[in-house]
Amino acid sequence: MSTPILQARNVTKTYPGVKALDNVNLTLAGGEIHALLGENGAGKSTLIKYLTGVHTADSGSLLISGAEQTFSNPSESTEAGVGVVHQERNVIREFTVAENIVLSRTPKKFGFIDWKKVNSEASRCLAMLDFDIDPSTPISKLSSAQIQLVEIARALYTDTKVLLLDEPTASISDAEAAKLFKVIHRLKDDGAAILFVSHKLDEVYAHCDTVTVLRDGKTVLSDAALADHPHDEIVNIMVGRSLASLVTPERSVNTAVDPVLELRNVTTTAGHGGISLDVRPGEILGLYGLVGAGRTELAHAILGRERITEGELLVNGKPAKIRSVKDALHDYGIGYVTESRKEEGVFLDANITRNIAATTWGKLAGPLGVVKVSDERALVEKYVQELGIRISSQDQLAGQLSGGNQQKVSLAKWLAADPKILIIDEPTIGIDVRTKRSFYELIWGLADQGLAILLISSDLAEMITLADRIAVMDSFTLAGTVENTRHYDSMSQDVIRLIHAKAPSH
Amino acid sequence: MKLKLPASLGSQYLVLLATIVIGAVVLGISSGGNFFGPVSMQTFFQFLAVPILIGLAQMITLAVGQLNLAIGAIGGVSACLAAVMVADWGFNPWLGALVCLVVGAVAGLANGILVVVTKINGFIVTLATMTVLLGVQYALVNTRTISADNWKPVAALGKASVLGLPAIFVIAIVVAVLVGLAFKYTTTGRHLLASGDNEHAATLAGISNDRSLTIAHGASGLIAGFAGFVSFASLPGVNQSVGGDWLLSSFAAPIIGGVSLTGGTVAVFGTVLAAFVVRLVDSARAEFQLAPAWVNLVIGAVILGTVALGRLRENRESTKAGMLRARVATHRINAPHMAETAAKEASL
Amino acid sequence: MSNETSPAGAAKRRQGIDFKRYLTSPQFFLVLIIVVLVGIIGSAKPNAFNGAFVIAPLLTSVAIFTIVGLAQMMVLSIGQMNIAVGNMAAFGAMFTGLAFDLWKMPFIAGLLVGLVAGALIGALTGWIIAKTGVNSFIVTLAMSFALLGLIPTVYTTLSPGSAFTAKPEGMEFLGRGTFLDVCMAGYCGPAAIPVMVVPVLLVVLLVGGLYSKTKLGREILLTGANIKAAELSAIPTNKRVVLVHAISGALAAFAGILLATSTGSFTPAIGNEFMLQSFLGPILGGTLLAGGYISVTGTFLGITLALLIRRGLELFGAGIEMLNVFLGLILLVALSAERIRTVRRRKPAELPSETPPDQPADRQALSSGATA
Ligand SMILES: Nc1ncnc2c1ncn2[C@@H]1O[C@H](COP(=O)(O)OP(=O)(O)OP(=O)(O)O)[C@@H](O)[C@H]1O
Ligand SMILES: [Mg+2]
Repeated sequence: MSTPILQARNVTKTYPGVKALDNVNLTLAGGEIHALLGENGAGKSTLIKYLTGVHTADSGSLLISGAEQTFSNPSESTEAGVGVVHQERNVIREFTVAENIVLSRTPKKFGFIDWKKVNSEASRCLAMLDFDIDPSTPISKLSSAQIQLVEIARALYTDTKVLLLDEPTASISDAEAAKLFKVIHRLKDDGAAILFVSHKLDEVYAHCDTVTVLRDGKTVLSDAALADHPHDEIVNIMVGRSLASLVTPERSVNTAVDPVLELRNVTTTAGHGGISLDVRPGEILGLYGLVGAGRTELAHAILGRERITEGELLVNGKPAKIRSVKDALHDYGIGYVTESRKEEGVFLDANITRNIAATTWGKLAGPLGVVKVSDERALVEKYVQELGIRISSQDQLAGQLSGGNQQKVSLAKWLAADPKILIIDEPTIGIDVRTKRSFYELIWGLADQGLAILLISSDLAEMITLADRIAVMDSFTLAGTVENTRHYDSMSQDVIRLIHAKAPSH
Repeated sequence: MKLKLPASLGSQYLVLLATIVIGAVVLGISSGGNFFGPVSMQTFFQFLAVPILIGLAQMITLAVGQLNLAIGAIGGVSACLAAVMVADWGFNPWLGALVCLVVGAVAGLANGILVVVTKINGFIVTLATMTVLLGVQYALVNTRTISADNWKPVAALGKASVLGLPAIFVIAIVVAVLVGLAFKYTTTGRHLLASGDNEHAATLAGISNDRSLTIAHGASGLIAGFAGFVSFASLPGVNQSVGGDWLLSSFAAPIIGGVSLTGGTVAVFGTVLAAFVVRLVDSARAEFQLAPAWVNLVIGAVILGTVALGRLRENRESTKAGMLRARVATHRINAPHMAETAAKEASL
Repeated sequence: MSNETSPAGAAKRRQGIDFKRYLTSPQFFLVLIIVVLVGIIGSAKPNAFNGAFVIAPLLTSVAIFTIVGLAQMMVLSIGQMNIAVGNMAAFGAMFTGLAFDLWKMPFIAGLLVGLVAGALIGALTGWIIAKTGVNSFIVTLAMSFALLGLIPTVYTTLSPGSAFTAKPEGMEFLGRGTFLDVCMAGYCGPAAIPVMVVPVLLVVLLVGGLYSKTKLGREILLTGANIKAAELSAIPTNKRVVLVHAISGALAAFAGILLATSTGSFTPAIGNEFMLQSFLGPILGGTLLAGGYISVTGTFLGITLALLIRRGLELFGAGIEMLNVFLGLILLVALSAERIRTVRRRKPAELPSETPPDQPADRQALSSGATA
């Protein structure tokens, strides 16, 4: 075997109080796609940040093409041919696509920026991705999936020998992911080494050759051939014990009951037209669609954050007038678990108590609005137990929790509010396998308790697992609603057909 | 420099230009044409230099997402130090002029380094340095007014004309053009904007935010020192009130000109135009003999109005886009064959 | 997970950190500096402890400026700022002055008029911020200049000497009275403590209680921590923003009125010195500019320190310009403490509990401030 392109040896990295990486080893060879797997908080992103000079490690060494290197900042790793797309989006929103792509090494002539070259270089990178967009478009006009593609183009700008991708497919559609994989395979054929992080094991098996698994910062499976380790085994290695497979419960919804939430031919300021939906108590209605189909916006319209201009919104059969999330909760018992937990779901700098109790102070407050601390803590404790949120104490700040636990906090806040209708928006983006399962069980449990659940998800498999009925949306209209038979193949065909039937014909 | 403006910004410049023209015409009429007389025009442009410069100085700190409350104090101290050096200590007047720039740059760099090293919010740092500098300014001149007769050659520059315009106004415009070019064509300029827009992303692209902050504060101080020099050259005398009324206009010009407070944008042209508006308000006060307090009131209201109108327009545009989309959506449901017409309409 | 520890271990760890945290908290730091300073001033100028002539005026200004600091702290708690504190103080005081001078109102009624005026101008400011979404710095800056234009105009139009000087009964007692004037059963209080301290203490307790105990305070802090998340958690954020600015305005007005009662006349110059001080107190005391965390005790201590230094410098004969220089320098030097603190707050896991459970609940407001 030739010298690997990138080799990390015995890397240890501690954040204050957390050992994020503990003697980790990783070898990336040219011409292979290497999967890096592990649960939330296992240390995957930390490893990538070490490999790209964003963070330095406490100990360990890094070899690029056999030569020892230490990156003390990100530009050094770029120079060495390591391209990266981090887990979070990192773009300059006020700059154009082109300038973002060349930012780390802007082309100059006589010491001044050569704008012509900036655009042509950017076009070259975009062409590699088959990404058809004018390089002079400002980033602020792009969707988050498009921004993701721009970041990939940026990673291709400098001569990239190694490409590190941290959950690149978490928030883009399947079609866009397919495009991405095409590029990855092309790079692989050109001899580049690719590291691929994902919680979606299906795509890992479809595209990766080798695998490394991290658990609690330790390498528990190192540079193994993926083909030797079947799906269930990998899951067990990640989790550290054998995980029973998920059993879908027998679900039956009482169709005799009237719907609690009903939309009749609704048009909104966000741009929806003629949307009709209904959800019964105890039912999970899935709202499926591609990214940008207007599902989150529809949730916002129900919550009064967008205005309903025509049609009717009925709660318990009566027309509802909702102008804010507060109205939605207090007057109609509607709760909303947001899709972007870090920005909107949790208060990163506030402790667990305040995070979960946020929706309940109205109930807890005595005369003069005084909240009794012991009541507050007891209530929070109840939900921490019920959802199995892993915290060291209620005084821990939410920002210190792993992604999955933050998501649970965000959900707990709404369960504590005791809603009758719960809208859950993309609950499992970037969530590991085990947490995902516990979420599924939780959601079924809530429906069994009689909650009406409107579940928004872009993950068709998840939708087919969870929902009782699936409403399919496409460009702000409803393409149709289908009863879920839970047979993946036939259901996915039905749903895809609905989307295509609605697409404008030319 | 190629002026390719986004449509919304372009219309903002048009509004500003229209405001300036209408304001000038109204002033011209109400003064019976005197406003357009040579003497009056000369003063108008002469005292336009300072609003332009302090607007630019503030704009540069806004570009990196910082505020600089010390601009007036920096300008004041630099002018007062120059005056004291020339009048009391017998230095060459031109050396005094140079001192203005040096003091400005040093004070600005000090701000930048304090922000970087202590990691204290720039607002607080400049609030503190402003207080310190105001104390220094007072210590320098006390209650005296040092007459410009002490530095006649420099004062002559303050009154000189180039191509019929006051020299100091021309200098201010040159500074503005240089700043504009620096933000468009140098990597340093782009790096300031990148740091101001998204610090983390800038770091990942190999940009040093510390460097950006230091440079921005340094440049801001330098230009504030330049404004101090302009005051030194053009005022009949220098006292502790120099720079005292710069705070509001330093924010007014860039903000009315379209610069966002959150960093990542600059608008040199807009800032210069807005400085015209600020100057017009001041002229109007002189014309109608109102109390100086009214200038503040009007400028405050204009700032609020501009920013609020901008917000309103944004909201209206997104609502309009949504309504159009809804029309397309409803069409597609009710009459599929009409969808295309509606879609075309929407794309217009 | 590495974050998980046995309950006993967690408790032990927390204890150790609590102790360390206590010693490194800005509040402790402030107390330490204050004690040292008092020592220095006292040994250098023994006459500095003359109750009626040194301590009472010092306490009066501490009382007034603590209110000013709280007015700013409230707004900081939602992650905004109020550049117009001084002008709102002048605005409120102007109405009280008007009420006394022109409308011949009794003391309490006039006081209320001023407070209401302050609350209204604050509410207007908050409403503009909430409605337009314009940055609070800009709105309050514009507001401050608008008021700067308005107030002197009103004074010059309505009073010959540009000041309202009527003194209804009670004003003298609140503004200049000390406990020497409060006699009970033939025993009078010390001359060193001004009467003003009582209402101010009451306000401090109320604000502390608001943040540590009530639904409202919690909602305000979460609004400051992340306004979008707060709105999506069914908190009416717009109303909270307006409310906070209204309270800030009322507090500013209260401070302005107190200052006027202590100097004896209502003038447009009231509040001129408030802006810098208003930031000094809360920030020195550990309130975060970014919102979401406040400390009432810290604000009080920060103000005390700043005024003590001021008074000390005056005792040593420093001129007004030196006062400014020093005030600015203190702000810079002492603020490095905030930096250390912020870094500490971002550290995971070893992070201390902000409100230790073993601490009696009723002391929270004053010991550790309220926490988001
Ligand atoms: N900046 C930071 N400061 C302190 N601790 C951190 C920081 N970033 C990550 N951690 C901690 O380090 C550990 C590893 O985090 P990391 O982000 O590498 O996980 P991950 O495997 O990428 O998880 P995910 O799948 O959720 O992205 C976690 O316990 C996390 O809480
Ligand atoms: Mg990660």
